[in-house]
Amino acid sequence: MDTEKRKQRLREMFQRVVDPLGYKFSPDEEIVDFLLEQEVIIEKEHGHPFCPCQGLTGEREIDMKIVCPCIPFHRAHFDAMKRCWCGLYVHKEVDDPDSLVQISRSEFEQMQKEGRI
Amino acid sequence: MYTLSTCPWCKKTKSFFAEKNIPFEFIDYDKASKEEQQKIREVCSAHGEGIAFPFVIIGDDVVVGYNPQKYMKLLES
Amino acid sequence: MSEENWVYALEVAELADGEKKALVIDGQRIALIRKTNEIFAISNKCVHMECPLSKGELEGYIIKCPCHDWRFDIRSGEFLDARELKVLVYELKVSDGKVYLKMEGENQ
Repeated sequence: MDTEKRKQRLREMFQRVVDPLGYKFSPDEEIVDFLLEQEVIIEKEHGHPFCPCQGLTGEREIDMKIVCPCIPFHRAHFDAMKRCWCGLYVHKEVDDPDSLVQISRSEFEQMQKEGRI
Repeated sequence: MYTLSTCPWCKKTKSFFAEKNIPFEFIDYDKASKEEQQKIREVCSAHGEGIAFPFVIIGDDVVVGYNPQKYMKLLES
Repeated sequence: MSEENWVYALEVAELADGEKKALVIDGQRIALIRKTNEIFAISNKCVHMECPLSKGELEGYIIKCPCHDWRFDIRSGEFLDARELKVLVYELKVSDGKVYLKMEGENQ
């Protein structure tokens, strides 16, 4: 299947997953197009559209939690950032994705501990 | 820094350092050998982090994610 | 009131305990699953990437998608890691050893 068609297909399938979770594709079309393209490349190489910004371990149980959209498995963390780690998805109310910063896992856990989120 | 060849934020991080003429070394995790990957995972986990990139080491500090403000603050100190 | 549309699916005897069967009824892909004396009918398209759940592993009332291990409760259709996501569950009745599915008014 050609890359553009597969990107479009992933977009359609993933839209149906993220919408009920309160997310949408980032308004930054350039980033979205780039990330979907990477996912198609990753899918061709590894068999699944894994997150382009998280690393594979070779352990199925761990790696399956970073197949896009991986929001269900990192919900609280991504909700705190209002975006997913790679930025393909943002909370529905976000119009300016550049204003969102990535919060690392340890920072997020610290914020939880301190009751800041 | 540890990065992924597929990650736009890793690219932005590399560009940021390059534009500021700050010398840096990087390893793309996805292009690394199994042994290197294992080592990188150990570093991530030692810092309480997942296997998320970019993973930027500045001196004794670590910044996970694309965050120019944090990079600058650490570079200036 | 709309007329109920019950469609014949299969014979109860065709499904052994723990067995899953994939059917296409009215153009819809459906997984029939027998769990001891109960039969469940859910959409056979995983909400993630439409993989056939009928090929997944069943443990208790939980079916695990063969593609990416997404887990669904076959009673409610709910995805265990985000309850907002559900596969369709079809209403079902057994009469004279035959299983019928209600093809309208899915519980979503």
